[in-house]
Amino acid sequence: MRTLWQEMSAEIEKQKKLTDSLIIKMTQSDHRKKLDAILIPEIAGSLVCLASALYILINLQKLNTWYLLVCGIACLLVLFLLPALSIKAVYKMRSVNISANNYKQSLQQYSKGRMQFVFAQKLSFYLGAILLVAVLPVMSMLIGSKDPFMTNRLWMCYVIMFPFFYLFSRWVFKKYIKTIRDAENILKELEG
Amino acid sequence: MHNKQEFTRIIQENEGLIYKVAKVYTDNREDEQDLYQDIVYQLWKSFDSFRNDSKISTWMYRIALNTSITHLNKEKRKGGHIPIDETLLNRTDTSDTLKEEQAEILYAHVRQLNTVEKGIILLYLEGKTYDEIATITGFTATNVGTRLGRIRQKIITQIKK
Repeated sequence: MRTLWQEMSAEIEKQKKLTDSLIIKMTQSDHRKKLDAILIPEIAGSLVCLASALYILINLQKLNTWYLLVCGIACLLVLFLLPALSIKAVYKMRSVNISANNYKQSLQQYSKGRMQFVFAQKLSFYLGAILLVAVLPVMSMLIGSKDPFMTNRLWMCYVIMFPFFYLFSRWVFKKYIKTIRDAENILKELEG
Repeated sequence: MHNKQEFTRIIQENEGLIYKVAKVYTDNREDEQDLYQDIVYQLWKSFDSFRNDSKISTWMYRIALNTSITHLNKEKRKGGHIPIDETLLNRTDTSDTLKEEQAEILYAHVRQLNTVEKGIILLYLEGKTYDEIATITGFTATNVGTRLGRIRQKIITQIKK
């Protein structure tokens, strides 16, 4: 096995292909700084959350019953917490110290980062459920000036929405299970 | 402060190392290309912190393997890498077709190993001693020996299937 590999390596060594200009281009190609597929939606989502929170805050005095006020405050808390959790989780996941770590340390950091990321995503999901409950009556009051608890519509919305939300959450959590299992397997293998 | 000329020379002398790491840790051309470039970038980023207290290749393996970990389960990035001439990745691993096939089979078996095992076996196949593997990976030399025994057994079992 080693002999074959070394023969192969000797052959590869003969094939010098990198030019100076290509190497220089690669040193300038900064993938990390480029906002990638995870960070752009996270930042966009955060801006939407903050804009919504600001809107609710400015109009808080319009929530003229105790239950609407409770919903409003719940919305504010969730809308501030969600972006903070998400962005922190994304950065944590990418915080492997490539320069200083050895392989084992990197694997540990990476696996723990992924588990923390999944935990943050799950927590965000539950917070999202709270937001779903609280935001409907708040927006109904702020935009439509109607107390939706006085009508049947609100309850009908909840009855229709929640089964979909439940099914969606089961589908999402299935993906998280694989991520957690992979991370746990790496950590277990490191102990072995 | 290291300079780009020195860095370029080091990369050119060791481009085979980067190629092999990228090939072991990915299973398609696009990811291989992405990882290849990321490794070069991370080596450049870490170049100033290289203190000549280890061999250049030891440092390069450590950075390359660490970079490969961050590519695990990564969502494919669309664009964001510079197009590399296909010939850069289109190396023939040997000049003998039969040996070329055997090399591909060996790569395939190494790729099937888990992440921890991949790193260790790659370094072993590259001719690193147990002590050198221990330095790069952070395991003890004894642990490296034990793990290598298990990995060799695993590969033999895979080949027999």
